[in-house]
Formats: sequence, structure tokens, C-alpha cells
Amino acid sequence: MSEMTIALAGNPNVGKSVIFNQLTGEKQHVGNWPGKTVEKFEGRLDFLGRRIKITDLPGIYSLSAFSQEEEIARDFIKKQKPDVVIDVADAASLEQSLFLTLQLIELGANVVIALNMVDVAREKGREIDAKKLSKLIGVPVVPTIATHGKGMQQLMIESINAASCKRKTKKTFPKSVSKRYEYIHAIVKKCQRERAVGRTLTERLDDALLHGYSGYAFLAAILLLMFFLIFGLGGITSDYTTQLVEHFRQNIPQEISSHALFIFFWKAVVEGIIAGITIAIPYIVPFYIFLAILEASGYLPRIAFLTDGLMHKISLHGKAFIPMFLGYGCSVPACIGCRIMESEDQRFLTAFLATMVPCAARSVIILGVVGAFLGFEWAMGIYAFNLLIIFMLGLLVSKFVITKPVGLIMNMPSYKMPDIGAIIRHAFLQIKHYVAVAFPIIILSTFVINTLDFFGLLGYLSGFLSPVTVGLLGLPSIVGITLIVGFLRKELALVLLAAVLGTENFGEVLSPLQMVVFTLVSIFYIPCAATIATLAKEFGWKKALIVTVFQIFFAIALGAVALRVLPLLGLLY
Amino acid sequence: MALENKEMEEYLEVMYRRKQKGEKITTTGMAKELSVSPASVSEMFKKLEKKGFVKLTPYKGVVLTKKGEGAGKVVLRKHRLIEDFLMMFGLRKRNAHRNACALEHALSKESERAFEKATELAKEKNTMPLAELKAGQKGRIVYIQGGISVCRRIMELGLTKGTVVKVVRASRYGCPIELLVRGSEIAVGSGIAQKIYVEVSE
Repeated sequence: MSEMTIALAGNPNVGKSVIFNQLTGEKQHVGNWPGKTVEKFEGRLDFLGRRIKITDLPGIYSLSAFSQEEEIARDFIKKQKPDVVIDVADAASLEQSLFLTLQLIELGANVVIALNMVDVAREKGREIDAKKLSKLIGVPVVPTIATHGKGMQQLMIESINAASCKRKTKKTFPKSVSKRYEYIHAIVKKCQRERAVGRTLTERLDDALLHGYSGYAFLAAILLLMFFLIFGLGGITSDYTTQLVEHFRQNIPQEISSHALFIFFWKAVVEGIIAGITIAIPYIVPFYIFLAILEASGYLPRIAFLTDGLMHKISLHGKAFIPMFLGYGCSVPACIGCRIMESEDQRFLTAFLATMVPCAARSVIILGVVGAFLGFEWAMGIYAFNLLIIFMLGLLVSKFVITKPVGLIMNMPSYKMPDIGAIIRHAFLQIKHYVAVAFPIIILSTFVINTLDFFGLLGYLSGFLSPVTVGLLGLPSIVGITLIVGFLRKELALVLLAAVLGTENFGEVLSPLQMVVFTLVSIFYIPCAATIATLAKEFGWKKALIVTVFQIFFAIALGAVALRVLPLLGLLY
Repeated sequence: MALENKEMEEYLEVMYRRKQKGEKITTTGMAKELSVSPASVSEMFKKLEKKGFVKLTPYKGVVLTKKGEGAGKVVLRKHRLIEDFLMMFGLRKRNAHRNACALEHALSKESERAFEKATELAKEKNTMPLAELKAGQKGRIVYIQGGISVCRRIMELGLTKGTVVKVVRASRYGCPIELLVRGSEIAVGSGIAQKIYVEVSE
């Protein structure tokens, strides 16, 4: 018997990915939709002797093909013709969910409704008669509580039944959106009973979490906690893995490890992999996990809600805050995360700004140079200054880039207890995807750096750059090397700085002013080759090049201004 | 003749507005505001003086006469009326202003009264942008302003004309507004909330 295909469709935040996880477990795969920048999740399961392939479609409100996601879902159902489309409907906001259902039926899909979150609906005082709904709308309806795994068996049984008897229920519904909602409203009225209930937990939580003052206090506290946990955890895992690798290297026999070819191979290839594992992964893994917790708990839309007003000032909206925050981990997933923006202009502007947020590797520079030698408050000052510059650049650039700002409109889901197993699985999939994107470039960059070093070209290049490093930025000529290397691999900049200066006590060789200038230039010019490649993949080479060139010039200009202005203000010498 | 009248009315309106604001009426100021040359301004001043709308005194400038003031007042009132009306139905201030400038000269006494009545009716019905509603207030959507894609996005989330929405959390400092629409909570950015007009019911 051939493989049965099922597509999962539904609005955002209805628990679609939870159902996907419940059904497919570990047998998942993530990729991109062909030619699109939207992630495609696929998984398999065996049920009652049938092999089933499940594709998780992007979360959408309709199939009108206004956004990339809607187009993908529409095309998939139309062209791939999955045997069954499981439409995940939110029992707590049934009317909006059924709007998509009608479009799916109209498109000729073989629909089975998973009436999810019936527990949340009950908490809101709503009882839905699934049988009646099924009769009225003409497709099977299975009540589910995905977070508890309830109704999953039944859902699969109904899906297999539906696949075996392809009903000809292609219906047409009222054309206009208003009429269609009237039609839906009439159906819901017949199958839903409402009783008065007190305020729900979500409503009471929102009173505090969306409050004008306390909401922002909670947001700041949650983000700071996340930040410190990630850097705390990341630091520990990073140290531990470094030691492990070092231990491994010492166990390699002397005659091999001292061979010139081995040293070259080790430095050029293996160190690239090691850096990826010891520097990128320890910070990226907790970042993905925390982000997934925020998403699954329902807090992510609240962040978008709270930051919407601020983001509006730079012609973006609340959802843009999330990829920008992701930038503190790594710029590569931040650029990819910009996909949540609906319009192309806004997506690009968000990515442009997100790449200037200091990632973990740049935080190492901030904390290791300014933080260690000038004090914690100076490091915090650099972070604050960075945010200010990003905001001002946003104000300026949005005038040129954004032609038509799109406002925020989204569903506010109820809070949920996140399913930790599903979150870890989801994070693991994303890490795999991240490794596939970023690692080849990290390794290639390391190779280039070491080859340059091997032939003694790094010193030559830094001499060539000395008009900029010495003349404009007032730094020792040799520091130019770290800036060139930083172009390819930011996290190496600090190690290399110590190497070229011959000491880790930067206070001996650099003045406080030079340290601040070095740090400023390092954090503002393009993060690394992996980010440039990601930008190119997401927005094309032309835009990636524009961003790269702009940020290099901007960083140098900023450093040059800082060198001259800070002493005038009497702050540094 | 009609064209000249229109121009004259425009001048009288601007002059009357300046006088109300306590600003001086100067040739250069008028030229700048109406984007014409100073020469044509002084030429128009002479024509207006001939008709008794203004008084020109050397070295002192231009002063509106009683007759001129009355005429200016009528035009400005028509302008404000049209502007109000258009803005009530979602036009932006600049666009409404530009249209009012063109329409004010064509408005007869009867149609002025019709506009007045329509505006009053709309006001009675308490039509206002969603963004201005307070927490707990309810409203019925009467009009959504914007391009097709924006309107569709709004409507597909259930905010169709005639739908009653309840404000859960009012918009403050440019933050979004939270609504209860068809039984589910929906956040709407303040920009979009300005474009959705509702008839306040409670």
C-alpha cells in the first residue's frame, strides 16, 4: 500500500505544532519550502499498519495568498493534493478557525477538523457539540487536547477513514468575507453553548503582564533572566567542551601532532568545527529552547503586543522585536527569524537592524575587553549605546526602505503549559538546520584565515589597512589583523587580539580609549561571513552587499568619531 | 468669472484664517501659503479692494473689511465642514484638507446644510475610530479605511462590517488595542485601530 499523505493546516497559535509533535514524535525533518524562505516541517508515523507522511503547513488565517505562507499552503493543497488535510481549529476562537476551514473545503481538500483546546474553551465557558458541528459543516470533527495527547488516536482513525472514502463534498460558500462570517456565525450559534464564567487565568495574568507599567517590568525581567541564563549556561558548556577538545588533542601522539601538515590541517579545518561546537552551539541551543518556551507558553505574542508602540516609530511592528532579540544569540537565526514579518520591506529592515545587535561572539569582545578592563558599567554603557544607535539608524533607514508599513494584527492565544519534550525536539531540529547553514561557512572562513596566516599575508594586509586602523581609529597597526579576521569570524577577534599583542592583559598595551574604539568598531561592522551568506540567501546578494559595505563604513566612522569626541567630553583619554 | 471667484474665495479664506490666528496679512506670506508669485498676490489684492473685501493702506499692509471677513468666514466654515465629514469617514487630515479646498467653492447653501446634517447624524451615532474607545466599551464596525490587502487582513480575522467588538484593553501610548471579536482576543496595532470606524453602542 502506498504512503498516505496528510497536511496540517490551521491558524497560528492553535497548537498545530503540538499535534504535529504528538503524531510524528522523533521522526521529523526540517527544510525549506522550494524557493521560499519559510521552514518546512515533515514527519512520518506508522498507524494501524499504514505508513503516513505528515507535512506541517505554515500557520495562516486564510488562503487568499497575500503572504508567502498563505501561498505555500494554497499551492501545497492544490498541487500536491494530500489525501487528508487536518484542519486544526481553536475551540476557543471557533469562528476565526472555521473561516479557514471553509476555504479549505472550497479548495477541494479532504478536510478533517481537529477541534483543539476544548479545555481552554471550557474554561471560557464554551461547550461545543462536535457531532452537530460535523453535521452542519459536512466534514468529520474530532475534539482534541493536543498538549495532553487527547484525541490523537481518534484523529488518525478519522483521517484514515476519510482517506479511504473520498467524499465529493466540494461546496461553495458565500463569496464576501462579511457574508461568510455571517454564515459561520449561524453555524457556531447552533452547536456552541455558552455559560457565564468568572475571569479566566489568562485574563488575570494579562492584567499584570500587559499592564502599562508592570507589563514592561515583567518583560524586562524575563528577558534579562533569559540573557543571564543563556550566557551563564553557555559559558559553562563552552568552557567544558573547550577543555574536552584540548584533552583530546593532547592525547594525539607527539610525532603526528608536531608535523607541519597536521598543524595546518588542525588549524585550518578542525579548529573551525571546534569553534562552531564550543562557541556557537553552547549559546544557540539555550537560546532556541528559551525562545520555544516563550512561543509555546503563549508569551511571544505578548512581547509583540508590548513592543509594538516602540517598533512603530521605526515603521516596524511588535513582531520585529523577536528576531532582534534573537540577535543577542547569533545573527544567523536572527536573519532567518525575520521571516515572521509580513512585508518584504519590513523583513529586510528588521534583518538589517538585527545584524547590528551584538551576538554572543561580540558580547565576548564587549565583556572581555571593555567589561574586564574598564568595568561592568562601561560594558553596559556599550550595550545601551548600541541600542540607541540601532534605534536611530532604524528611524533614518526606515524613511528610505519602508514604502508601506504594515500594522500589527494578531490573535492573542491563551497561556499554556509548554510541553518540554516537544520543545527540545523542535530546538534540536532547528539546531540541525543551523549547523547545516552556518558550519560550512565557519569552517571555510577558518581555512581562509589560516591559509593567509600560513603564507604570512595577514601582516601584509594589516600594513595595507594601517591608514584606517592607525590614522582614523588610532589603534596599533597590528590590530588590523583582528579586524580582518573578525570579518570572517567574530569570535576569533579576541583570541587573536591577545595573540598579536602578545598579552591577554590588554590594559598594558591599549589605552581605555583604544579599547572602547576597538570594541565599538568590532560590534558594529558586519558580524561574520556566515551572516553575510545568510543575508544573501534571504534577500539576495545585492542587498547583502549593501548591508555589508554600509556597516563596515559606518563602524569605522563611528570609531573615528568616538576617538575624537570621547576625550573632548572628558570621559576617556 | 467662476474661476476668478474660486480664487477670490481661497484668498478670503486664507486671510480670514490668518486674522483669526492673529497673524499679519503680508504679500509674501500669502504668496507662500497659496504657492503663487508675490506679483499675482498684489494683483489679487487690488481686485479684492475694488470689490470692497479688503482695505489696502500703504506701508501698513492689508486689512479685511467687514464684508471680506464675512465672506472669508463662510468659506472657512464650508472648508471645516467638508474636512470634518471626510475625516470622520477615514480620510487623513492632509487628504481631507486638499479635497476640502477644492470642494468648498462648489458647495451651495442647500448642500452645505446636507453636509451639516450628515455630519450631525454620524456624530449622533457616535462614530469614531476604534483606537479612541475605552476599555469595556463596545462598538459596531461601520467602516474600514485602507487598501484591499489591509482591509482583507482585518476582515479575515473576523472584524467585518456590522460586527460588534468589545475593547478588552484600550490603546495607550501607541500600543495596540486588545479586542474581543467573535469570542476571541485579537490585538490590533494602533495604526490599524485608527482606520477602523465603529458606532459606539455602550
